[in-house]
Amino acid sequence: MRATDAIYYMLHPHQLRSIIQWKVWHNAVHERDEKNETETQKACFKFLDMTSRSFSAVIKELHPELLLPVCVFYLTLRGLDTIEDDTSIPLETKEPLLRQFKDFLEQDGWTFTGNRPEEKDRELLVQFHNIITEFKKMKPAYQTIVKDITDKMGNGMADYCRKAELEDASVKTIEEYDLYCYYVAGLVGEGLTRLFVEAGFGNPALITRVRLHKSMGLFLQKTNIIRDVREDNDDSRRFWPKEIWSKHVADFDDLFKPEHREAALNCSSEMVLNALEHVEECLFYLAGLREQSVFNFCAIPQSMAIATLELCFRNPDMFSRNIKITKGDACQLMTESTQNLHVLCSVFRRYARRIHKKNTPKDPNFLKISIICGKIEKFMDTIFPPQSAAEAKRKVLGELSEAEKEKARLEAETRQDMFFMLALMGVVVLIVSIVMIITAWLLGARFDLAWQQLKQGNFSPPRHLREEL
Amino acid sequence: MENLKVLISGGTGFVGSAIVRALAEKHPMCAITIIDLKPPGPVHTVPKDIKFIQVDITIQDEVFSALQQVKPDVIIHTAGIVPALSERFGRRLEGHVWRINVEGTQHLVQAAKQTGVKSFIYTSSCGVVIDHMDVPYHNIDERWPTPPSSLIYGESKAAAEAIVLKESSDIMATCALRPSVLCGPGDNQLVPAIHACIAKGETPFIVGDGQNLWDVTYVSNVADAHVLAVENLTSSKTAAGEVFFIQNNEPITFRDFCLAVWAHFGHTPLFEIHIPQALGYVVGLICEFLTWVLGTTTTLSRGSIRDACSVRYASGEKAKRILGYEPQIGIERGIRLSCEEYARRMGIELPMQKAYKKNE
Repeated sequence: MRATDAIYYMLHPHQLRSIIQWKVWHNAVHERDEKNETETQKACFKFLDMTSRSFSAVIKELHPELLLPVCVFYLTLRGLDTIEDDTSIPLETKEPLLRQFKDFLEQDGWTFTGNRPEEKDRELLVQFHNIITEFKKMKPAYQTIVKDITDKMGNGMADYCRKAELEDASVKTIEEYDLYCYYVAGLVGEGLTRLFVEAGFGNPALITRVRLHKSMGLFLQKTNIIRDVREDNDDSRRFWPKEIWSKHVADFDDLFKPEHREAALNCSSEMVLNALEHVEECLFYLAGLREQSVFNFCAIPQSMAIATLELCFRNPDMFSRNIKITKGDACQLMTESTQNLHVLCSVFRRYARRIHKKNTPKDPNFLKISIICGKIEKFMDTIFPPQSAAEAKRKVLGELSEAEKEKARLEAETRQDMFFMLALMGVVVLIVSIVMIITAWLLGARFDLAWQQLKQGNFSPPRHLREEL
Repeated sequence: MENLKVLISGGTGFVGSAIVRALAEKHPMCAITIIDLKPPGPVHTVPKDIKFIQVDITIQDEVFSALQQVKPDVIIHTAGIVPALSERFGRRLEGHVWRINVEGTQHLVQAAKQTGVKSFIYTSSCGVVIDHMDVPYHNIDERWPTPPSSLIYGESKAAAEAIVLKESSDIMATCALRPSVLCGPGDNQLVPAIHACIAKGETPFIVGDGQNLWDVTYVSNVADAHVLAVENLTSSKTAAGEVFFIQNNEPITFRDFCLAVWAHFGHTPLFEIHIPQALGYVVGLICEFLTWVLGTTTTLSRGSIRDACSVRYASGEKAKRILGYEPQIGIERGIRLSCEEYARRMGIELPMQKAYKKNE
């Protein structure tokens, strides 16, 4: 830890507390059995660590039933990505590679060495035979799912590359934006959902209600696209749809110029609004998961996403530099995302309210943002009603519920106990006093004289007696 | 719905005229008659060919003779009184409000039974539940109880609603709709009061945390719900004997509603002052005491503070399921239309309209 970090955490102790809390108290739902892993399995986990920062930890805590399928699924898609990202591969080589990638999964020992050396995940494809070995060991049902999604995504990427090469592939309409996000993230959501349901960890309705799992992926992807706008633009990639930004600025580059700051902020808040439309469906989806490790796996990225949106909302810094949530906040979010839906909802409520607070009537989408925040709260009030009609009825009629009756009974009991103790003490005091008085009388105390004096009004002994004493 | 005779009480008022317009547009073959205290005026317009009979619903004979004359198949009873904000939390007008809202309804229901009316729709209010201000109302539905005591308005509406629902039978099907707070063309209460805050310099003040959600409904949506209720009670009758919460189903914070209205009039508060609810309560108490001593009326009271800080929004599920009601005008558009109409009424031009003209 550097000195600046130390000073930072001294000034922000709650951040440090969150980090410690996560590191000390978090127990994985399922521990990986590292001792009995085969060589190929070890290789898969090594690549998982290499290729992913955020996902590797949550994947490795998954239920043993899904641990390897999800890992293989992730690495396969990563492999596809590595081919697509490599600008040194010409289209005529790249296109068939992407389209046939699903078949490579069944060719023992298939590897690919055609990536340029600076491609960061090159090694994954050079040793891809490890993943193929593990793929073949999976249950046939899982294999079908992974293959199917690889097929769809490979073709989607191929179409996109072809379009980029031959014509303009920039994102123009919101529909195109959604479609792009669907190919990069929505499909992953579909594949994972099918895996969860196949394993019996999710409600089968999650598959049939396509919008639900689609929203899970789209919400994450859109958040990343919003947050990375500066970085992407520096790499000359633009994912913000023209349909949105053209309402605020004439040229996309204007977003990054200080003189258009206000317009840029309004533009980014419209992007945030677009992303927030998925929140309800994401929470609905999470309600359909039946296994803790799967819930954690899905919930952590979602809560990170809403926190990231809140960070970006009306924050001019996002146009000048990379911004990300602090480590302390991330740890707190992870702690809160690994409990249950109720706790997770309170996280969403907290961040939705912060977004709502930053919302300003100067923004042309002021009311729309206010409405969507209201909708999110309403949805949470629907799944977790703060008060039931039955309770309200009792309240109006002045009746008590069973729990309240029980409480009242217990209170009455304690009160009775207390009175009994007081009475008992009174009796003890009385007995002791009587015993003392009788003893004094037996020893010759003249109570009759004392009584006479008292009757005459002499409440204290005469002065000379007092002095003697 | 062909050739149906529909009588609308309070048809020259804010809600009533909107219902008349909606019904005349969707079912031009209906014969509509309005009964009201005042004939149709320039603010709450109704189509020209609509029949009008002057009736004071607090006088039983007037109501009865009007119904004898029209012999309606359907009655939509919207006539009623909403006490002004300054009287909302007091009991000064209790007798007056009760006479119009409860006895008036009683007269209409009795006369309807005697003249063979087949469907009776009552315009109630969400106030029957939420005027009881001790608890927050998150996403409440029709199972929620109507408290026996609340504010004079809510009490009177609840009593009238009970009279109407009790009479629902095979001969006469009745139902009650409970709209939330309304805005729209001709609104005299909500948007004008919020607009007045600009001149009084009250816009920076926020009482409470400003996060409490409210339902506000655009008036034409409420009118649509009434038309749907007429259609239901004259066909399947699945709504007979039922109550429905009617709103825009887009709860927003009351603060944001105000900010949106002010923004239409070109005003944004320069700064914000948060007043904790407890402090507001004390200020309200002092104001109440002063008005009690001085015998005047006030905008600030414990009641209005609680009103501004409370959560009150309802679920639209039942209205959607049984009546097929879904708001046609979203709240954003509804607020814009309300502000534009109010600006026209006052003869001022909104900044947005000015900008629009310039562009043209």
